[in-house]
Amino acid sequence: MIFSRYGSFTGGIDLTDDKDRTIAAPIRPCRTPSRLRVPLAPCGQAPAECVVSVGQQVAAGEKIAAAADESAVDVFAPLAGTVSAFTSVTVAGAHGRAVSPAVELTGLSEANGIDRPEEVFDWRAADAGTLRSRIASSALTTYREGLEPLARWLGRARERRCGVLIANVMEDQPYVTAAHRLMVEHGSDVLQGLAILARAIEAGKVFLVAERRRTGEYRGTARAAELHGIEQVALPHRYPTGEDAILVKILMRREVPGGGGTMEVGAAVVGASACLAVYQCVACGLPATGRVVTVSGERVAEPGNYYVPFGEACLELAGDVMPPVIHGGPMTGLDCMADMVVGPATDAVLAVEAAETPTAGPCIRCAWCRDHCPTRLNVSAMNDAFELAQIGRAERLGAMACVECGVCSYVCPARLPLTQRMKQLKRAIRSREAAATRTP
Amino acid sequence: MNQQQDSHSRPGPSGLRRPVLEAPFLRAPEDARTVFLVTLAAACAPLAAGVVFFGWRAIIVAAICVVSCAVTERLYYRVTRTPALLGRTHAYLTGVLLALTLPPFVPWYVPVVASAFAIVIGKAVFGGVGHFVWQPALVGRLAVAVMFPMTMNPADWPLLARSRLLVGDINNVRTVEDYHGWRRARAPRGADGFRLPPPRTVLAKLTRTAASARARGRSEAAYSALAYAPDPNTVPEARPAALRPPPPEALPPINDLLYGARPGAIGETCAVVIIVAGLYLLYRNYIRWQLPAAFIAAAWCAAAIAPIRLAGPNVTTRIVWYPLMLEGLDVGFTYVNYQVLSGELLLAAVFLATEMTSRPVTTGGQVIFGAGCGVLAMLMQLYVAVPIPAYMAVLAMNTLSPTIDSLWRPRVFGRRRFEFLRSPNR
Repeated sequence: MIFSRYGSFTGGIDLTDDKDRTIAAPIRPCRTPSRLRVPLAPCGQAPAECVVSVGQQVAAGEKIAAAADESAVDVFAPLAGTVSAFTSVTVAGAHGRAVSPAVELTGLSEANGIDRPEEVFDWRAADAGTLRSRIASSALTTYREGLEPLARWLGRARERRCGVLIANVMEDQPYVTAAHRLMVEHGSDVLQGLAILARAIEAGKVFLVAERRRTGEYRGTARAAELHGIEQVALPHRYPTGEDAILVKILMRREVPGGGGTMEVGAAVVGASACLAVYQCVACGLPATGRVVTVSGERVAEPGNYYVPFGEACLELAGDVMPPVIHGGPMTGLDCMADMVVGPATDAVLAVEAAETPTAGPCIRCAWCRDHCPTRLNVSAMNDAFELAQIGRAERLGAMACVECGVCSYVCPARLPLTQRMKQLKRAIRSREAAATRTP
Repeated sequence: MNQQQDSHSRPGPSGLRRPVLEAPFLRAPEDARTVFLVTLAAACAPLAAGVVFFGWRAIIVAAICVVSCAVTERLYYRVTRTPALLGRTHAYLTGVLLALTLPPFVPWYVPVVASAFAIVIGKAVFGGVGHFVWQPALVGRLAVAVMFPMTMNPADWPLLARSRLLVGDINNVRTVEDYHGWRRARAPRGADGFRLPPPRTVLAKLTRTAASARARGRSEAAYSALAYAPDPNTVPEARPAALRPPPPEALPPINDLLYGARPGAIGETCAVVIIVAGLYLLYRNYIRWQLPAAFIAAAWCAAAIAPIRLAGPNVTTRIVWYPLMLEGLDVGFTYVNYQVLSGELLLAAVFLATEMTSRPVTTGGQVIFGAGCGVLAMLMQLYVAVPIPAYMAVLAMNTLSPTIDSLWRPRVFGRRRFEFLRSPNR
């Protein structure tokens, strides 16, 4: 056996695992909801144009909205039902929370699990162009934070000539097990989806990156990986190994320049859900109408991994617990609004033990934020720059390199909202740059 | 960029407005108060050693320090009507650290004045915890060193005898003739201990004064004598007696310096306990090993290299570089270790220079800071007649730590090395 040597990164923290509640729970269909509010702009940008009217009966998988341009995707009805209203919901879009118009469906058919249909298209014999056009017409998204249409992601990857495709199933945040269960139960489908994507972007090297502690359960996928030329890599669970920029640093020893994506150094990163959706959509012709969501946390009555149709309310999924309910992983997730619904980027809905909102004290310069920062930022100096509103200084100190992993806020003994402040600084730097390019 | 932007609110599920929480939703258990409390607990270890070696008066000095620090802080915030930051925990910590640096025999008003300076001048006028420039305890220590020079730095310092540890009165001591190490010495009749010159004074006498060497009828033997001052109870006669010059009077064996039976301030004598407490702080991640290591290593190298004046053949003195190599490594090592262990350097390296707020943030900056402290402390100890060279070195480097932080910048992820120097809008 050949051992590959990989790079490392400085800093990081050891988080508790806290996945016991759901790590062994098989993926189940969720309880049939009373209504669905299917977002027409799941990426939080331009909405698709609705093609149904109030009172109309729709079948499961029927198109209810058609994309007008490249930044939108077609939307399909997840379950059969009746269109009862047009509303608006909050989704986790490309840049955090976004408000999207939605179609409300009621009188729904029973929720289903992940289908295992017959292949209707022989993707193994297809060439890259055919696969690209099938993906482009498939109305898929990237199923991760920073959501965007998969066709656009594919276009960018082609444009940047990405030679490396990385499937990131690290899942290094506590509680979240959705990708792990997908790998355990649908591992070969996920790998086929990955192989389709690899062929579509013509990547020379394909990695499947999993956490070292979970690799024993992925043995079933080893043959498929060998078949499709996918290199399987196990990495330690030190958070944030699963951040894209850090992962690329470890695997390729190339550092993403500040403010840029991994594609700038020639690496495209996908998640397990996107791979599965690509396989089901390209090879089996199924529309994307749901995803696997981990529902977990101390305050959840029925934790588990559920296959949830898009448009189910997050709070109902968590069982109507008291807020705060977290959308996504506990380190990088969002606070659930009342009108937040499950979208393609929802990998978990968590109701963790309600931590009281900590009161921030003055920075005592313990330097833990700097010591643990995976990008070696002097976060306490950034905090000074934030408090004095010195945006230029923050930019010179390298604020754009921040990957927003949340480690600095986690360790801060003064309980300062450092990650949030870094995000605000980055936003301010971006808007200043935009203004600078506009004026001359 | 103000606080309101930090916590904007939106309508919650029940129509009530609740603040929108931001990631991460998990927090490490340790908060600033824990940091101060654990540091305080670690600082209690050298304090306990001091109480053992200097008797019950040490604990009274410490108590006065802690109480008056807390009271001063309370009064300051009451009078100026500013909200107290982080409660009294940091004031307690400052009090204990201050007690470590004070001699055990001081009258009651010295810790009171020192605490007032530490809290008001050292900490509060800068805006409290997290904002001060100089380590507050050292500010208080420097103030009393300047205000009460005779009280704080007498020619001879007291030390309890073995039989009177912990219960002895440190003010009830006598001058003794013929002191050959603490383990051998017996308490004079009716007294609890002896009055000795501090080790540093003895060293200076040995290496600097030509007159003393001439009086003993030998030229350079005084320096060589350093190597032959082991604890006579434990170390067998290693060399033939003919080659061995007689040990100099009142120079304690170096073992005494290690376990703390030497004259000095309450917390600075017991090297072993200071190191163990420092290791605990390292284990808790409150200090990085680079800072104390750089401090001690730099001081060690400075003592090994920096020139000393030795008694020449006649009445003259000569300047000698590299005292480490002068008369063989055994003499040199003993000399250098003596210089490092004889003062407050170890306490400064482990507890005072590592104060979070007043040291640089980056690791490289901490190495620079520690090395600067060590060199400065050793040079002052060798050439400047100041009572607290290491503390003054730490205060001097504290002044520079913002500068070090802005000059030493580790390479940020995704940038080239020294890219910040090339940045056009710098």
